[in-house]
Amino acid sequence: METKSKYLNPYIAGVLLGLVLLGAIYISGRGLGASGAFKDVVTATLSKVAPDHVAETPYWASRVSQSEHPLKSWLALEVLGVLIGGFISGAISGRLKITVDKGPRITSATRIVFAILGGILFGLGAQLGRGCTSGAALSGMAVLSSAGFITMMAIFGTGYLVAYFFRKLWI
Amino acid sequence: MGPLIPTGIVGMEWDLFFAFFIGIAFGYVLEQAGFSSSRKLAGVFYGYDFVVLRVFFTAAITAMTGLLLMNHLGMIDISLVYINPTFLWSAIVGGAIMGVGFILGGFCPGTSVTAAAIGKIDAWAFLLGIAIGILIFGEAYPMFEALYYGSSLGPILVFESLGISAGWFAFILIAVALAAFGITAAIEQKVNKENALEDTKGMSYTLPVSVALLVGVMLIFIPYDRLTSINELPKSTFNEVVASNKHYITPDEVAYKLIYDYHPIVLVDVRSTADFNDFTLPGSINIPAEQIASRVWEKQLSNKEQKVVLYSNGTVLAEKAWMMAVRLGYENVYVLKGGLNGFFDNLVNNPKPNTYKMEANSAYAFRERVRKIFKEGKADLVTKKQSTAPTVSPKSEVKVASRGGC
Repeated sequence: METKSKYLNPYIAGVLLGLVLLGAIYISGRGLGASGAFKDVVTATLSKVAPDHVAETPYWASRVSQSEHPLKSWLALEVLGVLIGGFISGAISGRLKITVDKGPRITSATRIVFAILGGILFGLGAQLGRGCTSGAALSGMAVLSSAGFITMMAIFGTGYLVAYFFRKLWI
Repeated sequence: MGPLIPTGIVGMEWDLFFAFFIGIAFGYVLEQAGFSSSRKLAGVFYGYDFVVLRVFFTAAITAMTGLLLMNHLGMIDISLVYINPTFLWSAIVGGAIMGVGFILGGFCPGTSVTAAAIGKIDAWAFLLGIAIGILIFGEAYPMFEALYYGSSLGPILVFESLGISAGWFAFILIAVALAAFGITAAIEQKVNKENALEDTKGMSYTLPVSVALLVGVMLIFIPYDRLTSINELPKSTFNEVVASNKHYITPDEVAYKLIYDYHPIVLVDVRSTADFNDFTLPGSINIPAEQIASRVWEKQLSNKEQKVVLYSNGTVLAEKAWMMAVRLGYENVYVLKGGLNGFFDNLVNNPKPNTYKMEANSAYAFRERVRKIFKEGKADLVTKKQSTAPTVSPKSEVKVASRGGC
């Protein structure tokens, strides 16, 4: 366990995160996000690798038809910032380390496989739900949108429903 | 008055700059809170670590409280803030899929980025998974489309859905969160005997809890008025304007002004940006109907010298946008009669008049001429040369409002 460096008190972290979110709303008129940036990355990659395919698939085509490069977007830059901010924090707190974080009863290979599976589901679900935990749930709750609360309850409610069946992964 | 960029107080060119620095702060706080560890994150589902619940709810409540106060103090125009639209079933099904993804992967997208940043290989695997998931969704999109766009309820607000005031909702949310913090702390102590509540130790919570409750009580008494910087037309005047039915402009007039520039007009395509990029009338600017109220368009829509003509494919969307614009107090706004379809119909089905009336014949000749110009694709040249159209680059400006979500 790498609990040598203490984490920030979660309530203080919560207030700070809330202020960052409020700042985003006050400056840009929009909340935080994450998964949207990956959509931009996927769109940009696809239009490089398979431009013809992108042109004839409506979902991608509607995203590249805008004259701006897909990566020149608010979310893409914000997530680039998240990567750097996370790195700075890890460096300051001495947590930079190449490692696999996993439950005590599984191998690293199992962990990686399930991480990919979880990512696939999250990527897909975030498209359908118009955002992930940050963009739809957290930011949506902050602006009191019904969607924010519904998405939050759906994510955590389902999490608790299925947690028992996958307990071996974590405990 | 905020939000600074949509209201134009801070220039649009700073938007991405701020996005980057907001992202750095976001990533820093997430990592400091321990969200770079999937084990800590998953703890919320097994009771050994409730850090997710604590950070998540404290953040949501902090931002919500701040926004309610700012709104009350007139510091922010909520009509310019992106409110996530509610599509009931896609939110529920999408959320449920994400819930399973959370258990299997131990991350959500934002947290996996910070974890990847400090070298967690499982986070890189999760990120790879996200890309695959998005790819699957994009490829199988026709299958999801009905669900994705179904049960649309618009940008509804949760307290309105529940039929209570914003203040009461905020108070209840704060009270529930505080109760949840207490209960989960007790659970954590039972489940995790070795290092329960490691992060929350070392300070007294009497004061913070009292302050939170006090703020909650205060919020009950704060009304949620949507203060807006746009002045709304009184209802009676609005009804008069609508009833007078003088807001149409004929295709001939638009065509005439497109070809000759004696009396230039502002042509506004209110369809989506994608449609606009596909095809539009020369010299048009694009203001998607749902963004008509945004203040970034104030300058274009409040043109006093030139008629501002809204159009869509038919007239439904343009009429909608027009009503909105009139309610917002814009005076010189019109709708293209028959829309784009009517415009071209007028040119293509141009019956040769069998009367000898001069007007009818000259109208015919004129339409023939316009048709020729459009057919030969010279309309662009004609209008560009005259450059009567306002030279704005609306695409970058609308991004704030149109792109929300996560």
